[in-house]
Amino acid sequence: MEYLSHSTEQTEEFARQFAAQLRPGDVVACRGGMGAGKTAFARGLARGLGLTDRVSSPTFALVQEYTHGNIPLYHFDMYRINGLDSLYSTGFFDYLEGEGVLYIEWSENIQDALPPGTITLTIQPVDEETRKITIEGDRF
Amino acid sequence: MKILAIDTSSQSASCALSDDGKLLGEFYENVKLTHSQTILPMVQQLLATVRVPLDQVDLLAVTNGPGSFTGLRIGLSAVKGMAHALGKPCVGISTLEALAMNLWGQDCLVAPVLDARCAQVYTALFQGGPQGIHRLREDAALPLDQAEEGLKNAELPVFLVGDGAQMCYNRWKEHLPQLRLPAPALQYTRAAAVALAAGLPGHPPVEPQALAPAYLRLPQAERELLARQAQIETRR
Ligand SMILES: Nc1ncnc2c1ncn2[C@@H]1O[C@H](COP(=O)(O)OP(=O)(O)OP(=O)(O)O)[C@@H](O)[C@H]1O
Ligand SMILES: [Mg+2]
Repeated sequence: MEYLSHSTEQTEEFARQFAAQLRPGDVVACRGGMGAGKTAFARGLARGLGLTDRVSSPTFALVQEYTHGNIPLYHFDMYRINGLDSLYSTGFFDYLEGEGVLYIEWSENIQDALPPGTITLTIQPVDEETRKITIEGDRF
Repeated sequence: MKILAIDTSSQSASCALSDDGKLLGEFYENVKLTHSQTILPMVQQLLATVRVPLDQVDLLAVTNGPGSFTGLRIGLSAVKGMAHALGKPCVGISTLEALAMNLWGQDCLVAPVLDARCAQVYTALFQGGPQGIHRLREDAALPLDQAEEGLKNAELPVFLVGDGAQMCYNRWKEHLPQLRLPAPALQYTRAAAVALAAGLPGHPPVEPQALAPAYLRLPQAERELLARQAQIETRR
């Protein structure tokens, strides 16, 4: 699935609609460089899952839990994760056992640990305001 | 001596109370709920059911690893908190040893396997017999194929236990005909077994602040570490 977004709002709206197709246990692995719009996408995703929590970048907390809504969303930022030891101590593997949706920024850093069936989301900056969004996975 | 044991180290959670080796009661659940939400209400309900107030417990026992990062911290914090408040000693039991206890007294080998993800397991090896159970191999984190290799040429039936038992059984049964799975009730860590282990010699009680998780470094993490060290070496 591919989409060309021309604004932050369009990215959020696209994410909101995409959320309707997600099920508990889904893992969305996001790639795209600094400032691509990964956190903006997460905001739309949370809204689409009916969550009322405030979404912000979990750069320092590593994971943020949004639980006030229909399906919980676990929002990871793997920017500072540099191996399996540090990944283990985020509790990542425990979240995989759970019933929520996992959304992972900087999933490039944990490529080997992504479970089978992971949905891949790529956000590619085209210019200042334009992003090419690609979603790959068995159901997309 | 009354022992209150809890386990939240992997998929399931349970608590048990024993008195001089007799199991007075046990609660167990294996639903996808966060252990932090289930374990303390379970302890409360267990103690109420068997009519033993918490302050009559003499020793608190807990599985201290290997296992899930979050699960281990939940169990250890719960036991540390209770032991500290009550001024009672506590004891950490290897999750893999507790699992092996499920086949206490059976003439067989027991290989506990906990799913460590990324094709790795936490495992050990025990032998059951008239004396109960005794350890043949230390707790280790191994790639799946190495763990499988380690069970070749076993001369007794090998029972797999733990939250990785079914997965390993499915993957290995073609090559390892001596593999067995026990009844579902014996496949997961049981607090009753933790209480049993805690009452045996070789598990000296400690102060709550001395209780710590026994994380095992995963082989993949070890390789990453070596690769980073090699990188630093070449830069010198
Ligand atoms: N079409 C677009 N879609 C998404 N964001 C856009 C778009 N156009 C401009 N932007 C801007 O790009 C920035 C994206 O920031 P965001 O925090 O979402 O990026 P990120 O990928 O999470 O970055 P980081 O790597 O720092 O976590 C915002 O300032 C946003 O307004
Ligand atoms: Mg971000």
